[in-house]
Amino acid sequence: MTGLHRISALMRTLFTVGMVAIAAAIAPGSSEAQTKGGELVFVQGSNPPSLDAMSTSSQASRNINMNIYETLYGFSEDVNPIPILAEGVEISDDGLTYVFTLRQGVKFHNGKEMTARDVKASLERYRKVGATANLLSPVKDIEITGDYEVTFHMEAATPTFLEAFSSPRAPAVIIPEEDADTEAGKNSFVGTGPYKFVEYVPDSHVTLERFDDYTADTRYEGMDGFGGKKTAWLDKVTFRIIPEPGAQVAALEAGEVHVLEQIPMPAARRLESNEDITLYENMPWAFTTFIMNLNVPPTDNVKFREAVQVAINMEEVMAISSEGLYQLNHRWQYPGSTYDPGDIGAEYYNLADVDRAKALLEEAGYNGEEFVILTDSNIPQHGKSAVVIAENLKAAGINAVINQVDWPTALNIRMQDEGWNGWTLQMGIEPFLGPVGLIATLTSPARPHFVKPDPELDALYQELISGTTVEARQETFKKIQQRMYELFAVVKVGDSGLMQAARSNVKGFKPYRYPRVNDLWIE
Amino acid sequence: MTAFIFRRLLSAIPVLIIVSLVTFMIMWLVPGDVSAEIAGTDATPEDLAAIRERLGLDRPIWERALAWYAALAKGDLGYSYLLNRSVADAVLERLPVTLSLAGLALVLATVMGVLLGIFAAIRHNTIFDQGAMVTALLGLSIPDFWFGIVLIIFFGVWLGWLPTGGFVPFSEDPAGWLRSMILPAFTLAVTQMGVIARMTRSAMLDVLNQDYIRTARAKGMTSGTVIFVHALRNAMIPIVTVVGVLTGVLLSGAVVIEMVYSLPGVGRLIVGAIQRRDFPIIQGGLLITACVFVFVNILVDIIYVWIDPRVRDEG
Repeated sequence: MTGLHRISALMRTLFTVGMVAIAAAIAPGSSEAQTKGGELVFVQGSNPPSLDAMSTSSQASRNINMNIYETLYGFSEDVNPIPILAEGVEISDDGLTYVFTLRQGVKFHNGKEMTARDVKASLERYRKVGATANLLSPVKDIEITGDYEVTFHMEAATPTFLEAFSSPRAPAVIIPEEDADTEAGKNSFVGTGPYKFVEYVPDSHVTLERFDDYTADTRYEGMDGFGGKKTAWLDKVTFRIIPEPGAQVAALEAGEVHVLEQIPMPAARRLESNEDITLYENMPWAFTTFIMNLNVPPTDNVKFREAVQVAINMEEVMAISSEGLYQLNHRWQYPGSTYDPGDIGAEYYNLADVDRAKALLEEAGYNGEEFVILTDSNIPQHGKSAVVIAENLKAAGINAVINQVDWPTALNIRMQDEGWNGWTLQMGIEPFLGPVGLIATLTSPARPHFVKPDPELDALYQELISGTTVEARQETFKKIQQRMYELFAVVKVGDSGLMQAARSNVKGFKPYRYPRVNDLWIE
Repeated sequence: MTAFIFRRLLSAIPVLIIVSLVTFMIMWLVPGDVSAEIAGTDATPEDLAAIRERLGLDRPIWERALAWYAALAKGDLGYSYLLNRSVADAVLERLPVTLSLAGLALVLATVMGVLLGIFAAIRHNTIFDQGAMVTALLGLSIPDFWFGIVLIIFFGVWLGWLPTGGFVPFSEDPAGWLRSMILPAFTLAVTQMGVIARMTRSAMLDVLNQDYIRTARAKGMTSGTVIFVHALRNAMIPIVTVVGVLTGVLLSGAVVIEMVYSLPGVGRLIVGAIQRRDFPIIQGGLLITACVFVFVNILVDIIYVWIDPRVRDEG
């Protein structure tokens, strides 16, 4: 089975509800008038590990930080790099010089105007404390070439540099020069965004306040992805940390909070007809994957891995692990995105073919060795996926055993070359970033998730990042997709969604990679 | 009495040293560290090594332990890897939450438990006794996360009388503080009440059969005076022991209650630190928790002496 596949009438209804809500929120000429003022309470389940945006790649941090800080370039709604704090960039023909001009009159929350000195200082700090500091490795040096201009001199031409530089994973945000020497996590949390930091009480809340001197980017009509013309309507925004999902839903129903980052699917079904609550389907949100260790038997044998691929019932895994909010997708990109590789590999997807798996196991010379599935108890999808995958594999005759540990232990074990065969992983931000960010996690020079590098995939990654046009990179990505279905190192199980919920008096909410509290108001 | 307290305080020092050493050993044995939390899932071994080096996690365990004790001798409990504050600050800012919750829950649990226990003892072997003990057992057996959610739905969502969670500091709004504490304290009290009720019942049954109680009744004392003045005081030692142990437990953080009601207390701090391997918080938090236990135990010993001077003479 190929392409998208929705699972139930209920999900279709929820999708429609979500889409109607989104359509109403973004409809041009909407008769709703924005109201200035008020306090919005947004709920998430865990603490932000840091409010120093550069130093963390955590979603819980990004939710908050991207309302406080901004980058020179960032992704638009359709995930293309657009200027945010930059006026634009001029790239030399040889790709070795990037001249960024800056927007003038942009104020930091401390009242100071942003200049080229702040930009250079921020990016130099990013090299030291950035959680993905290697995104600046193609840059040899950064030169201040004017009060509002910086020039990057590159080590070598890197056609995908702007895409990588726009990444919100651990964003290269611009902070005041005075914070340049601070250690990771110890800056003053001053940015240029529409909201400014007020207070953080771990396990309780983070409070932001409207930044009245915010300089909106008037080049745009409205907000666009991480950038665009942002308007802060609310006086105050509180990000409350409520770990227990049942308590989150109760707080939403009682009207104490306004938006839930994620609502459990059973609760969403129950609240479907509640007029006070609007559901938003944030789809697709993440890849559900199953990674194998190419360094140890039996997963060092490609025939064995192919047997695993054909034995798994993707629909079963996705339906259970996502509680029903998923789409079947064999692609290593989201369907319809710029690098969608089409049907390549579809013939291996969602087969649940026990006989074929058994034949492949015999061909592989499998003798019933233990197949250890590493998973964790912190991220519910991981544990649920592991259970269903183990049952699928047992049905094909594989001696699958689950090793469930906590998340830090799982990360520790999977960094070891031995001791595990399969590992369940939800890839959240990587697929959103496009092919480069995703494939970087599977190739050298980083340690590939599947441990032992594949020279062919490594070469294709190099071809991808040096492809000078989008068309050239699209062609390369098709080859990568093909290679993924020859190597069978990682099983692409499907795409899962994120169900979000808000009180119906919250207007302007548009699901995205982070909750944009700008352009959002309470009626 | 001063010598007694001094002796008790001195005996606490080796206990605290052993606790901190054991914590060090356990954290050394547990796989994983905070570097993965900081660097994310696609970190390279080099990224992780750089973070470990920056935080000193690459140093041998004995070296880290020595450095920690040296800092402790200067009153420094260390700095959290993730919370951007010192361990002392992180614990101190949570103490009001934990003290509020533990204090209110303890009062409620003691009052409800003692009254239920007395009621069961004086109605011994009747349907009331069995009813009281079933209530106590129910309190003990109900999973607190489930009971908490039920209370939230009933009082927070359906009736809208009380907030569904969160903490309001007493200094900001005393009424808001009380409203935010009622449900968590009650949930916690109900689950702890059973222990006190059962202990009170058995202690009271022992005392009520004594000759002096019969004498007091024969002298025509009211039933209230006999029970609350003569019997209860003599039944207090085991009750105080149980209440003392519960105080230690509650002060070290009722994690589940703190999770359900989203209260930023000490228990959640330590459990969060364990989940993310924030060693300084675990080490410092557990040491402070151990201090609380030791202090409460000393307090219980002092109360024993106050209730029954024979304890001091024996000690």
